Amino acid sequence: MHDALTRLGRALRLVLLTALAVLFLIPFYLLLRNGLADEADITAPDWTFFPHRLHWSNLRELFDDPGVPMAHALLNSTLIAVLTTAGTLLPASLAGYGLARIPYRHANAVFYAILGTLLVPAAVTFVPSFVLVSSLGWVSSLRGLIVPTLFSAFACFVFRQYFLGFPRELEDAAQVDGLGYWRTYWRVVVPNSAPVFAAVGVIVFIGAWNAFLWPLVIGQDQDAWTVQVALSAFTTAQTVNLHELFIAAAVSILPLLLVFLLLQRYIVAGVERSGIDD
Amino acid sequence: MPINRRGLLTAGASMALLAGCGSNTGRNEGSSARIPHLSHWYHQYGEPGTEKAVHRYAEAYRKADVRVQWRPGGNYDQQTAAALLTASGPDVFEVNGPTLDQIRGGQVLDLTDLIKDVQGDFNQAVLAPKIHEGRVWGIPQVIDTQLLYYRKSLLDAAGVRPPATLDELVDAARRLTGKKTKGLFLGNDGGGGALAGTPLYAAGLSLITPDGKVGFDDPAAARALAKLRQLYTDKSLLLGAPSDWADPAAFIQGLTAMQWSGLWALPQIKKALGDDFGVLPFPADGPGGRPAVPVGAYAAAISSRSGNHTAARDYVRWLWVERTDFQTDFALSYGFHIPARTSLAAKADKLKDGPAADAVRFTSQHGYAQPLLWTDAGRLAYQDALSRIIKDGADPESQLKAVVRRTRAELDRVGKKP
Amino acid sequence: MPSASRRRRRHHALWFWVFTGPFVAGLVLFTYVPLGWSVFLSFHDAHNTVTPSHFTGLANYRQILGDPAFRSSLATFAVFTAFIVPATYALSLALALAVNRLRFARAFFRSVFFLPTACSYVVAALIWKMSLFNGVRFGLANTVLGWFGAEPVAWLSTTHPPWYWLVIVTVRLWLQTGFYMILFLAGLQRIPARLYEAAALDGARPGWQTFRHITFPALRSTSVAVVLLLVINAFQAFDEFFNLLSNAQGYPPYARPPLVHLYYTALGQGQDLGLGSAGAVVLALIIAVVTVVQGRWFGLGRKEE
Repeated sequence: MHDALTRLGRALRLVLLTALAVLFLIPFYLLLRNGLADEADITAPDWTFFPHRLHWSNLRELFDDPGVPMAHALLNSTLIAVLTTAGTLLPASLAGYGLARIPYRHANAVFYAILGTLLVPAAVTFVPSFVLVSSLGWVSSLRGLIVPTLFSAFACFVFRQYFLGFPRELEDAAQVDGLGYWRTYWRVVVPNSAPVFAAVGVIVFIGAWNAFLWPLVIGQDQDAWTVQVALSAFTTAQTVNLHELFIAAAVSILPLLLVFLLLQRYIVAGVERSGIDD
Repeated sequence: MPINRRGLLTAGASMALLAGCGSNTGRNEGSSARIPHLSHWYHQYGEPGTEKAVHRYAEAYRKADVRVQWRPGGNYDQQTAAALLTASGPDVFEVNGPTLDQIRGGQVLDLTDLIKDVQGDFNQAVLAPKIHEGRVWGIPQVIDTQLLYYRKSLLDAAGVRPPATLDELVDAARRLTGKKTKGLFLGNDGGGGALAGTPLYAAGLSLITPDGKVGFDDPAAARALAKLRQLYTDKSLLLGAPSDWADPAAFIQGLTAMQWSGLWALPQIKKALGDDFGVLPFPADGPGGRPAVPVGAYAAAISSRSGNHTAARDYVRWLWVERTDFQTDFALSYGFHIPARTSLAAKADKLKDGPAADAVRFTSQHGYAQPLLWTDAGRLAYQDALSRIIKDGADPESQLKAVVRRTRAELDRVGKKP
Repeated sequence: MPSASRRRRRHHALWFWVFTGPFVAGLVLFTYVPLGWSVFLSFHDAHNTVTPSHFTGLANYRQILGDPAFRSSLATFAVFTAFIVPATYALSLALALAVNRLRFARAFFRSVFFLPTACSYVVAALIWKMSLFNGVRFGLANTVLGWFGAEPVAWLSTTHPPWYWLVIVTVRLWLQTGFYMILFLAGLQRIPARLYEAAALDGARPGWQTFRHITFPALRSTSVAVVLLLVINAFQAFDEFFNLLSNAQGYPPYARPPLVHLYYTALGQGQDLGLGSAGAVVLALIIAVVTVVQGRWFGLGRKEE
């Protein structure tokens, strides 16, 4: 009786999960369905689950579109996301370590000053930031797109929490060997912290890839467009070309999905060990 | 030239950007120091060919190296507004304005002497909002207008004649609504955004009177807006279409029998429907009413933070005053606009017959442009009120009272010397 | 040996700044300077300028707080939060519990629920607006309704009933649930197995009782973090609202959270930067107060003292 109930419960759970999984996958399905159909199929009054014919030529059309430099935008986004990720991890992890481990009278004040910026919506500082960056002469440059976004309080916070829980014995051994903070950090701490770097790195990478408003305003030159900006060029044209829009959207998320699926294991491990939630 | 340049930059873009060579918009630097550099912004036009055309015009100019920037993103006005605060914005830019606060804030240059010889040739309705205290702050490029498109066959089948009054429009939309087709498409928001002040003008009123007072503090305003609510409650309106009113797709796909859209949509509709359509102005309402069509123009303006005022002026005069061939090409070869200068409009063959000719006639007889004094604060309050009236059934009179108050406060603000 | 200890203190201070200096410098330049600038603007009449000269004191604050539209945008935020925070919390916790107990296909389900995290709001809004919830007969939601003979619903423009909330809430649920599910999964992994063994010995039945007395309390710190993050994120909501509801003419008067309101009335085209900054400062203060109160209430930071 009890066993039967458990088995029933388990089956029910699996059915529910499967139903939810289908719901979660529907948007991806719509992206592909519409991206590979022709306009008439998309707007047909009767729903078809698959286009009558798969129009792979939509892809070629997308990359050949003279108005939107999609290939170049992909290149820009990759470059920006990679550099942003690297550029965020370094200062944030150093600061996180300093806050977690080096005794200093005002460490708490510094920590709260950093944490406080999490509460400030980006829109609040948007216009002055833009004016600031433009007075530095960084408009339409990679520097302007990347540098102002590098100082993520969130990343710093996660690193601090993680390093607070880092086994002290390892560091103490290094100190006994006469290594200072700097060398202890690089030789002992960093090599043993891969998961947290991976976890934070992926989150930052996603954020950089998906950023929209800042690249739109800073990337004035078409040569500095990112994928999101290129995508918005499709959505805001006077006449909406649905199949091109959807194939562009599909292309824009593909690289991220790959990164995601490949690194997912590390993200989970990183979150587990980083104590984001402590 | 742009293709070469882009090709080069694609190859070396990453390195160039990294090294910081791309760190400005192209002014003040470069090998040939004698030729000034100018950046010229356009908002993204939907019609194929427009972008190539503006690049072509820029290349034809010999006295400066003009770099065209094509701005996507839908919020072009916000992008230029932010960019005008800095020196890394455009030198020359097209603008759905300039706004009163941009003029008052000294963000754009006075262009009066550039067009003084031909000022009378411009369509006076669209030129008026570019003038503040007798000076011209932007040169109209082309006239855009909006119209009511209707499908002749569907009206015939339902035994409906083209509506001549707002009441007839309400009635027609109801009778044309069927199971798969709606009677009227005024935009996915129910009409508030696309129609804006048009129903007020159709009721014989205005947004701001010529002497600078609120123009819709009148019971006729509430009466006209209540009829838009009627359209909504009748369920005659198409709502939530994948593309909005500016795109003729819903009309062409047969989702609606009538649609409010821009003149720019006319070639596409003609191609898809042949002769099976006609155009109308927004119909008159009430005893003091008259038909109304909104007209407006993107204007060429110069940022006062431009590094080279003289070069920018010379270039704007060359393109938007002297090169009438380019002006005609820009208006008529890609999208479908009316040239901003009456002499050019008169010569345009494309505008001489059929619905296009009707459209031109409506703009000259019934055209109204949003006054310069109709600033953002009042406009936003009015849009909100309109949406609440149409969708929530809010009381038009009390809604309009609040808008009148807001508008008066704003008129007071801008009436003071800065 | 006071001088030796002072030297050591100075040595620590030096290293502290070597480690945190670069980050703090960047934060000051790119966050605190613009923030201070915004505060400065909020006390001035700053139409179309970032270097205003006309000091107006608290006038901007009076105007923004007296603006019913701004106050109603705060109410909109409250409604949105009341929907999205419990919904995301419950769904992500439920998913984590279910996925955690799976014996097979665990990685598959985890991936499926986590995958949307990779999507941008731009892409998600596009799918929701143009395909899933478009208001005509070929939208997926309306197609499904059509199978049951119902009329198409204009999801984003119907205010009675406010269907647009369904669109807004589901898009965010889809995008963010997977991330919080991962947080909960991590929390679940850290619960020692002996707790469950002890509970079983005490006669607690698996299922609700175990969850209520063991799992849920053990997830306390995760829960606190999740709720805090959800509230902060809800406050800063902009992207999906903007991409779903705005059009070339503007933004409807409903479903307008504070950031959207400020963008439309002051920080976008109609550049009343003083007024917009005042609103933004008010908003930041509200977020700070809410977060601190929440933190106190949950006893956050207790561990650090």
